[in-house]
Amino acid sequence: MFKSIVLLLPVLLPLLGGLAVFRLRDAKIRRIAVSAIVLCTLASAVGISFLPDLSLHIWELGGSIAIYLRLDAMGRFFLCLVSGIWTLVAFFAYEYMRHEGKEERFFGFYTMTLGILMGLGLAGNLLTLYMFYEMMTLITVPLVIHNGSREAVAAGFKYLGYSTFGAGLALIGFFFLNKYCTATTFAAGGTLDLRLAAGNENLLFAVWLMMMIGFGCKAGMLPLQAWLPTAHPVAPAPASAVLSGIITKAGVLAIIRVTFYLFGADFLRGSWAQTTLLCLALATVFAGSMLAYKEKILKKRLAYSTVSQVSYVLFGLFLLNGVGFTGALLQVVFHAVVKNLLFLAAGAIIYKTGKTDVRELVGIGKEMPVVIWCFAFGALSLIGIPPTAGFVSKWYLAQGGISEYGALGIVGAAVLLVSALLTAGYLLPIVTRGFFPGRDFDYAPLEKKEPSCYMTVPLAILAVLAVLLGVFPGGLTQFIGGISAALF
Amino acid sequence: MGGFLLIFLVLFPMAGAVAGYLTGRRSKSARDWLVLAVTVIELLGTLLLLYFPGASLRLDGVCGLGLTFQADGFRLMMSLLTAAVWMMTTLPSRSYFAHRRNRNRYDLFLLLALGSTMGIFLSGDLYTTFIFFEMMSFASYVWVVQEETPEAINASRSYLTIGVLGGLVTLMGVFLLYHLAGTLQLDALREACASVEDRRLLYAAGGCILFGFAAKAGMFPLHFWMPRSYTAAPAPATAILSAVLSKAGIFGVLVVSCGVFYRDADWGMLILILGVVTMLLGAVLGLFSINLKRTLACSSMSQIGFILVGVGMQGLLGAHNQLAVYGTVLHMVNHSLIKLILFIIAGVVFTKAGSLDLNEIRGWGRGKPLLAFGFLMAAVGVGGIPLWSGYISKTLLHESIVEYIEVLAANGGAGWMRAVEWLFLIAGGMTLAYMAKLFVAVFVEKKPGSKEEKSSYMDRPTAAVLVVSGLALLVFGLFAHNTMDKIADASRSFLGGEALEHAVQYFSWTNLQGALISLAIGAALYFVVVRLLLMKKDEQGVRVYVDRWPSWADLEKLVYRPLLQGLAFVGAFCSRVVASLADWIIALVNRLFYKKAPQTVTPKTDEQFGAYSDQPLHRGIVGETLAYELLLYGAGVVATLLYLLLQ
Repeated sequence: MFKSIVLLLPVLLPLLGGLAVFRLRDAKIRRIAVSAIVLCTLASAVGISFLPDLSLHIWELGGSIAIYLRLDAMGRFFLCLVSGIWTLVAFFAYEYMRHEGKEERFFGFYTMTLGILMGLGLAGNLLTLYMFYEMMTLITVPLVIHNGSREAVAAGFKYLGYSTFGAGLALIGFFFLNKYCTATTFAAGGTLDLRLAAGNENLLFAVWLMMMIGFGCKAGMLPLQAWLPTAHPVAPAPASAVLSGIITKAGVLAIIRVTFYLFGADFLRGSWAQTTLLCLALATVFAGSMLAYKEKILKKRLAYSTVSQVSYVLFGLFLLNGVGFTGALLQVVFHAVVKNLLFLAAGAIIYKTGKTDVRELVGIGKEMPVVIWCFAFGALSLIGIPPTAGFVSKWYLAQGGISEYGALGIVGAAVLLVSALLTAGYLLPIVTRGFFPGRDFDYAPLEKKEPSCYMTVPLAILAVLAVLLGVFPGGLTQFIGGISAALF
Repeated sequence: MGGFLLIFLVLFPMAGAVAGYLTGRRSKSARDWLVLAVTVIELLGTLLLLYFPGASLRLDGVCGLGLTFQADGFRLMMSLLTAAVWMMTTLPSRSYFAHRRNRNRYDLFLLLALGSTMGIFLSGDLYTTFIFFEMMSFASYVWVVQEETPEAINASRSYLTIGVLGGLVTLMGVFLLYHLAGTLQLDALREACASVEDRRLLYAAGGCILFGFAAKAGMFPLHFWMPRSYTAAPAPATAILSAVLSKAGIFGVLVVSCGVFYRDADWGMLILILGVVTMLLGAVLGLFSINLKRTLACSSMSQIGFILVGVGMQGLLGAHNQLAVYGTVLHMVNHSLIKLILFIIAGVVFTKAGSLDLNEIRGWGRGKPLLAFGFLMAAVGVGGIPLWSGYISKTLLHESIVEYIEVLAANGGAGWMRAVEWLFLIAGGMTLAYMAKLFVAVFVEKKPGSKEEKSSYMDRPTAAVLVVSGLALLVFGLFAHNTMDKIADASRSFLGGEALEHAVQYFSWTNLQGALISLAIGAALYFVVVRLLLMKKDEQGVRVYVDRWPSWADLEKLVYRPLLQGLAFVGAFCSRVVASLADWIIALVNRLFYKKAPQTVTPKTDEQFGAYSDQPLHRGIVGETLAYELLLYGAGVVATLLYLLLQ
């Protein structure tokens, strides 16, 4: 029990630390404080990942109403990923937020969100998950509406409305699961009481579908994806980076928990709900890419791209087999790395030049070569060009689909590749026009606009990761294999 | 040791690329020496590989599935060719790039592409092939865009599009093939695919894989990017594009044709038809073109068609595929050497004369015997004149067609195959005609009003490359049994070819006949079509070359672009509708129900003061009437009734 208290560390440290950050007006002290908090959280998250499985009852009302933390393989995965990316983005934000103002507010909420995400990763039952999930929604709204413009506030409300509606749908599912599950505590392979479930399959499928659509809202799945392209562009770049790269993955985590740790893959496999969800995920993959292709505002384009890319993950999960699951979790990591990279690069461009429209970015590679080089690696990885990271996840996703689902699997793989083509269509021209503006381009007004190392170093680290994780995915695949072995 | 050498050959040029880039920011000449040193070491390393026959290497877990490398006869030969071509194009690069910008960038991607191309030719499984193929595609994109002229930008866009599209379609095929065959090892594919039951899916997989590789090779109907990209790229790069990169595409085609569909007559038929169309179309386009590099690019396309005919014949001939196998391999080697020479000459011409238009550079080559010698060697080589190497490979290809005609004739009816034979000979004639057109224009005709300049026009390394490769063509042609037969013998196992029962009598009368027919057709075409139809007198009464190819006849402008744009429009429309559904429902609900409460109104003049207005704001779709309330009530009743009925 005493040993389990350590689970509270990564949750409480940023939550309490974040409260203190609100009071720190001096930029230098704030930087040191935020760095210390974030790095300590990262250290504690990595540290407890080496501990054996632990659990901690915080509060119990009886029955399934309990706040309960538990550390398992899936949680370790989420904890390390989130805290790692969070740290990198924090360093970028020190420089970037200087031109947005109200930094203490931003960093206060930014730090606290990390604590909530840690709690989400450690949540041991559905109620705890739901609680942290709603808290996450509420605490990220200030990040979206940070600049206070009318547009930002409207976007913030849209985000809030969609998210709470989605979470509400999921909450309805909670009541059903309470009845049909032996416990709403997460257990690998599911806790569904098969005797009670017998005869009520269709009801349970419908409940699952509803919960998936509800949690899918955060992950940007059709039909509740519309908040994403509204909320991401108005938020400051570091906020949109983590919203896109990490917060969407919170939806993915919830989907994994409900599907594999409550319902169980065996029960759901082959159901009509599964087919429906696969189709929804594929439709999202295509629609997101298509709209990104037609979009001219860079950050909005990246937001649409997130809609598409996170649904790659969902497609892999809804395949309900080991290969697809591996592909999905690989895609979680790769997309988190790459989308943060791309949003931060977009942020660096805005910070230095104020340009937001992709058509203005001709010759940008001559002004900020390091940033655009990083962007190029991110783009290649997102498309899935070998040997970068995106290729490996795509390989697993497609194999997971083709190996078991016949025509649907083949169509799925084809949709993934069409979307990859569109991804190339909306990302590569930025790079090529940035580096090859043409012979008649006027070089005279160009000046070196490379941002400081607070920005370039996180970008470079992410770019290196985007390639290295693709060349040497072995360790990661092995770890994910450990998770999926328990589930299938 | 052998395994280490394999990975060294792939990674060393890539490391050299980065080192060269960093060096180049300080000293240009140091960079030039470094790049040259890298290519020389690469060539020596590849030669060293000859001492480790059958070297192989497995890297488990790298890039997901793991990479395997292997060097056997054919792969070794292709890697040698690659390293040699790279070195020989680097030698003349210095003078070509002397007055051009961004050499640093070019060298970076030149060496990156060298490493990835070695990766393709040394790969032991299709997964590895594909990974390096994609890397090569992207690295070589920078060559095409290098000059940054509007044409280069335009051409590079097509190049990138077809590169990405081809890569993804191929990937789809690789997905399917891995699912069907359970392995991607090149050595194991033949057996694994023979036992696949779902043939239709296998054909789909093969077709998808073919798409990407054939696009890189320039096969019809995916050739459209080729003439423009080859023309836009710097000449040393074009030499590599044509000599090696197109062969990387052919390598993929061979993997599919000789691995997945080994001795499959239907597949052979498909490749044959596409090959014949490519061969003829390329030749016709070459005949019409009046730009030196463009003609050569079209010629590349046409020669790729010849090679594809050989690949197709392998499938059709089944167990008797020796001649086709030998012809395919040898024509690949020949074409690489020939195009290397020709594009380097084009580079020399462009550097000194400043143009590639035949009317502009007319007679520029007069009094430059070394250049003329190189060009002539290559021209007669590609034209298939006896005594030069091109004759050997074309004869073998021709013989394989004749052999199949005999097979068909024995079973009655070989008419269509005779047509293929004639098309083959005609295409050979056209090759001669457009090469004659180039030679006469550049080296024979006089441009009115221009003086011959006697200054130095190319540096020693360039001259050396021209002489060495030119003589190689002649030596290969003269001593075919000791040189070319040996090369083909070493390579045949990769293609699954049997050994020849007896050496081919290349200079027998029947074999010479084919060449003579082509020669006659070529002469006729040159004097009738080129001199009469494709030239006219201008105002000064001088006969000039005119481009009579209709400008609308461009597959890309006519079909592909409108098709892609149409698809994008439909896709975007549907996506927009689907993505907006939730927003529309919310808007509808807003308008239906949020109309009753009077709204807070803030007068514009006073931000602090707000008041309720007397009237509801007008934002509903229906005005506030009794009918509206009734409508909502009615909707509720209907919903309830429906629910009760359905219960």
